Amino acid sequence: MTVPQPSFKERAAAALSDGALKIAIDRTTGTAERKRAAALATFPEFDAARAKGKAIKNHVIAHLDHYLEMFERNATAAGAQVHWATDDAEARAIVTRICLDANAKLVTRSKSMLGEEIGLPHALADAGIERVETDLAEHIIQLAGERPSHIVWPAMHRTREQVANLFRTGHNPPPAAEDPGTMVQSARRELRAKFLAADIGISGANFLVADTGATCTVTNEGNAELTTTPPRIHIVTAGIEKLVPSTAHAFALLRLLVRSATGGEMTQYTTFHHGPRRPGDADGPEEMHIVLVDNGRTRMLADEFREMLRCIRCGACMNHCVVYRQIGGHAYGGTYPGPMGAVLTPVLDGLAPSRDLAQACTMNGRCAEVCPVGIPLPTLLRAWRRRSWRERLEPGSVRAGIGLWAMLARRPALYRLASRIGVRALRLLGRRGWISRLPLAGGWTAYRDMPRPSGRTFMEQYRAEQARREGGR
Amino acid sequence: MVAKPNPRVGLFVTCLVDAIRPGIGFAAIQLLEEAGCRVEVPQGQTCCGQPALNSGDDTDAAHLARQTIAAFEGCDHVVLPSGSCAGTMVHAYPELLAGDPQWAARATAFAAKTHEITSFLVDVMGYRPQGRRLDASATYHDSCAGLRELRIAAQPRALLAEVEGLQMRPLEGNDVCCGFGGTFCVKYPQISEAITTEKAEAIERSGADILLAGDLGCLMNMAGKLHRRGARTRCFHTIEVLAGHADGPAIGEEG
Amino acid sequence: MTARDRILSAIRNSLGPRRPDPDAIAAEAAALLADPQVTRPPLAAPDLAEAFALKAMALGTTIDHVPDMAAVPAALRRYLADHGLPGVALQPAAELAALDWDGTAIHTDIAADEAAGLGLARWGIAESGSLVIHSGSDNPILLSFLPLHHILVLRRNDLLPHLEDYAAAMQGRAQPRNAILITGPSGTTDIEGSYVRGAHGPGFLHVLLVGP
Repeated sequence: MTVPQPSFKERAAAALSDGALKIAIDRTTGTAERKRAAALATFPEFDAARAKGKAIKNHVIAHLDHYLEMFERNATAAGAQVHWATDDAEARAIVTRICLDANAKLVTRSKSMLGEEIGLPHALADAGIERVETDLAEHIIQLAGERPSHIVWPAMHRTREQVANLFRTGHNPPPAAEDPGTMVQSARRELRAKFLAADIGISGANFLVADTGATCTVTNEGNAELTTTPPRIHIVTAGIEKLVPSTAHAFALLRLLVRSATGGEMTQYTTFHHGPRRPGDADGPEEMHIVLVDNGRTRMLADEFREMLRCIRCGACMNHCVVYRQIGGHAYGGTYPGPMGAVLTPVLDGLAPSRDLAQACTMNGRCAEVCPVGIPLPTLLRAWRRRSWRERLEPGSVRAGIGLWAMLARRPALYRLASRIGVRALRLLGRRGWISRLPLAGGWTAYRDMPRPSGRTFMEQYRAEQARREGGR
Repeated sequence: MVAKPNPRVGLFVTCLVDAIRPGIGFAAIQLLEEAGCRVEVPQGQTCCGQPALNSGDDTDAAHLARQTIAAFEGCDHVVLPSGSCAGTMVHAYPELLAGDPQWAARATAFAAKTHEITSFLVDVMGYRPQGRRLDASATYHDSCAGLRELRIAAQPRALLAEVEGLQMRPLEGNDVCCGFGGTFCVKYPQISEAITTEKAEAIERSGADILLAGDLGCLMNMAGKLHRRGARTRCFHTIEVLAGHADGPAIGEEG
Repeated sequence: MTARDRILSAIRNSLGPRRPDPDAIAAEAAALLADPQVTRPPLAAPDLAEAFALKAMALGTTIDHVPDMAAVPAALRRYLADHGLPGVALQPAAELAALDWDGTAIHTDIAADEAAGLGLARWGIAESGSLVIHSGSDNPILLSFLPLHHILVLRRNDLLPHLEDYAAAMQGRAQPRNAILITGPSGTTDIEGSYVRGAHGPGFLHVLLVGP
């Protein structure tokens, strides 16, 4: 028995009526937009770097099998165990099995959107394993029992006051004050013991370096290293599109990633994890497992969504999206929100339940403009609209409306007649220049007035004038 | 690009201008003739096809692309008072017809001769308006398709700078979408309303008497919102001001 | 069919049967790294140490210039005294052990709430103000993450201009379990975008830049 989920429109309406959410979204995305612009202002090489980044990702995608095998070979040589998962269920099963085999009671996790994508949090809970999220934002949403609302700032929908409430009950002792500094200190104290007591640490990867077999994490808090160093086992879950040929290629993409995500130039901790602890090493895990996850990526490779595999998960598209900035991340209903989420969610969850995402876009193109790897997001959203139309997922009223309009538009003489009649009808509905209630387009006039047509159609007036000119000759 | 003298220009009026505000079409004819063009309005035109294209209905969109291309076959240039429709013709038509051996080359050639009007006047015809005067302050919204698909930003500003007495005011978020989005605004009216409200607030904060933009769809959206809010901002298409028509009724004013 | 086979064959089905040989792929990958100066920011200053210091300090890293290795203990004592720190966990590296630590409260165990840790940076990167550390028998990674104050010794001679120069320096060498580029103290903007230092890792990063 499944409980009916609220529709996209219902979720969006709920978000739009949440004043605190709007304040939180504006603070984070506004700051992100300003800082990115400032970072680019001091990096005139950005356009060239973006072209290079795009070329690097395209190169990897064109030789994905080659690089996967190279990565597997080198990671294995470094002592890591490489696992392959075709979908989320397989990935969950692999991770859970490693945890159960190790008799793990406590698992720490460093933020990974892929982990969210494959449903790792629930899988660990179902296996009876205590999971501690260590990224501060993930810690906040774990206390709130929520999903991330942004891929870089998962708790961006929470105001400081709301975080204080969560910490008051979730921390022992509760934070002494409600300023961000005191609350961060409280989380530091609360999580320190967990880091050191964990049996297993799970991280994602920002890059998989093929020629060394290293996985690379980038964080600002230092939680990835505290997650992956003390426990006996380090598990990495990573999408197969994260490959890069070499460390130098990773750096070329890192320059784009950090500036686009936070407006910084470099993350505080850029860490390459290369197998488990070496003989004699002072610390580090005894085992390292890397789970390479497909989960729809090879399907994207096969169709018109291949370009989406370039995505480096910076979040710039959502920070600059007018729709995201009104409704926030949760309204999208998938793991990934914003424009990139609107492209990915139908791949992951199917088009029928997520068809709204591609439609709820003004096609203004700002997301593609800021994308650091040149993904034509509006074009990809249009591709979903095309499929949605072909698969008859659009409402009958929309299909009928477009059908009627197209029937007329394909017949110029009839179209001109219909326009003449339509304009006269519209003029009857308006007073003093404006129409404030419009049948069949109530969505327009619910919130704004409609200018009343100023008179006869252009074509009528133009043809009358032409006739006059001809007659006068 | 340099035009030959007195080029034959086909005006694509756009469906919105045809129905809602024909004056924009006549302003276009006036400016094009001042720039030395021979203007004609082919009768085989209707709509560029965006409603179909944006709904995912490529079959109808491709049909309208072929119909439009055929209607303008004899023209040296195709000019539109809309960055959005021009962007569709320049970018979407070649994509829609790429797989059609009879039409692919014609679509590419058509795209190459198609221009949004302010960019055509400045970049192709080297035109500047003469002797225009408007004692008012105005602010300019960069409509998204024109800005990002056709790089239209400097041209309308260069033309407006020639209007004596017109004082341009900066618009906060001038390159941010107004929330129109074609069918978006009727399919997701609440989201559209929230976006448009922020745009209207920014326009009101600019303190300008007049809002200018290059796309009637965006203008109808912003003007409709400003009117509902009781704002006094008057809204015109850029070329109406350039043609000296701003002494007449603004969008939503009765003549 | 294993998951591995299914994934690889799905990829090969999409990419087609005619594929370049590994040498051609490697050449294409190398070509993507040509002309790195076109796609990266120039150094903040012509002098490496100055460029490094400008970038590092912009991120909140503090820097003390020290004439030679022998002067490191005294510089460290000054830092500890300035911050009221009782002592320091010392990286078990031969080069550090060889110094004269008389009068400095050093220890080797790293406490869960360690106040300060001193280690050696392998390299510094001028482009970004980053410091590189490698894990090993003489370098526990936790030394760089548990302390509130992290102090790193960096020799001027070990400054590299750009990130790619670190990749080049490691070419053909044995990779450590962890290689970490540390760029400023730990920080977070997760609560309303306010920047707070010392999220999980050190709240303070201090560099003793050694060399004339």
